[in-house]
Amino acid sequence: MKKLLYALLLAASASIFVVQAKAQVIVIANNSVKASDVSKNDLKDVFTGGSTSLGGGSVVPILLKAGTAHEEFLQAYIGKNDAAYRAGWRSLVFSGQATMPKSLDGDAAVVDFVAHNPGAIGYISKASPHEGVKVLTVH
Amino acid sequence: MKRFLILGAAIVLMSIPVSAQSLEDLNIQIHGYATQGFFYTTNNNIFTTDSSNGSPAWTEAVVNVGAQPIPKLRVGIQARYELFGNYSNAITLDWAAADYKANDKFGVRFGKVKVPSGLLNETQDIDPSYMWSLLPQSIYPIASRNGQLSTYGGVVYGVFALSPKLGKLEYRGWSGEDILASNDGYWLAYTESGLVLPNGVSGITTGGALHWRTPLSGLMIGASTNHKDKQTAFITSGAYTGKYALSEFNVPDFFARYEKNKLMVAVEAQRIAGSYSIQFAGPVSPPGRYDVRSYYAMATYKLTEKFTAGAYDSQTYDRSAPLGPARYSKDWVVSGRIDFNQFLYAKAEQHFIEGTDEDYDADLNPGGLKPNTKLTILKLGVSF
Repeated sequence: MKKLLYALLLAASASIFVVQAKAQVIVIANNSVKASDVSKNDLKDVFTGGSTSLGGGSVVPILLKAGTAHEEFLQAYIGKNDAAYRAGWRSLVFSGQATMPKSLDGDAAVVDFVAHNPGAIGYISKASPHEGVKVLTVH
Repeated sequence: MKRFLILGAAIVLMSIPVSAQSLEDLNIQIHGYATQGFFYTTNNNIFTTDSSNGSPAWTEAVVNVGAQPIPKLRVGIQARYELFGNYSNAITLDWAAADYKANDKFGVRFGKVKVPSGLLNETQDIDPSYMWSLLPQSIYPIASRNGQLSTYGGVVYGVFALSPKLGKLEYRGWSGEDILASNDGYWLAYTESGLVLPNGVSGITTGGALHWRTPLSGLMIGASTNHKDKQTAFITSGAYTGKYALSEFNVPDFFARYEKNKLMVAVEAQRIAGSYSIQFAGPVSPPGRYDVRSYYAMATYKLTEKFTAGAYDSQTYDRSAPLGPARYSKDWVVSGRIDFNQFLYAKAEQHFIEGTDEDYDADLNPGGLKPNTKLTILKLGVSF
């Protein structure tokens, strides 16, 4: 019984960690993107190559190369680690179904690219400056 | 000739934007991967290798060049070097296509394109994209890929949102000329008995697929059908020339996949039934018939960040074949993959095979086939 309680406590702690992780990363988009919010499923579709539109307009996903925000985004919204996520994209690229999204070096590069390219959508750490882009609410 | 025209048109379309834009604007990307595999079997030699003594005759290297000159247009080409037993030791064109995606609901690609039938056909030759060393051979036979993988023609595709309560429906439709080349594994038994189809067999293939992404997150249910027109070809046996004919046939295929967190479960079932005839001079010989029913069920689980394990059961039966081990194959498999980083991975896999309806050849099994074989595979891969 005690073991079961420990397991439940551990699971509860893990779920709190996931909620906190979600809170540490924000989804940003070029001001041309019509949507102001996005469902988790639609966001996953865009970032896994299943869709190229959001709110009736075309969007282009932009990735971080690595880092905490990247890992947290994948964990919270895609449900895969980096290796599995990129393997998914590679299967689309090698079968001729998609082009690999741009991967940029850090939050500042993502904000700069998203701000200057219509339809661009990316993600950064919540604490990073993000002037010139809109923040999408994920529900 | 038609296939060269289609391919030519795709290549011309690829070259037009180059003159109009800088290389950076074209968003040119180069990707690739390479793998090295090793086989060991306890009994029968498999895949035209000397596998009972251990064989490393399985090497692949793939280079992919793609460009996206405008957001809705992508062009690309992919070449492959494959060494696989005695089947293959050559560089071939995987695909070369131009793809115009108007919106999520409609896109079209043409050239030499991958055939999007079944659950895994489009990606069955892309080793980095899956956990297994060998996909279920009942439906994705590695020795007979080139007639299934691609076609000189076009694909239309798109996805419709049904409603939040009904999920999304993806469609794909295709038509083109496909080629079962003379060195395809399908002809192995013919070749070893002295029958050669110097030009292989080619014909028109047409098909469609629906993938229903259900409201239950992670669950996709789908079906596809692939129609092959009647095909004829020259066949030779020594100095004699005759005619080989393959009747028209459909390949219905049903599949489902469920992915949730670290778990993936998939099932697929397929039937191929038809007849063929070989006619040299003399009286008409009765046609041969086949009615092959295949299925698999698989599951994988990500045990750690880097290690994934899984198992599948793959079975195939030719209901028109005589009773005995050659009529069926049952393949129980346990497998694991470790991703050292996003570029480098290794795989290990154990097969427990019953029946001999597999890719065994007579030349490398001169003592005859044993009904059961264990197959061990090790594989190392790198991709970028």
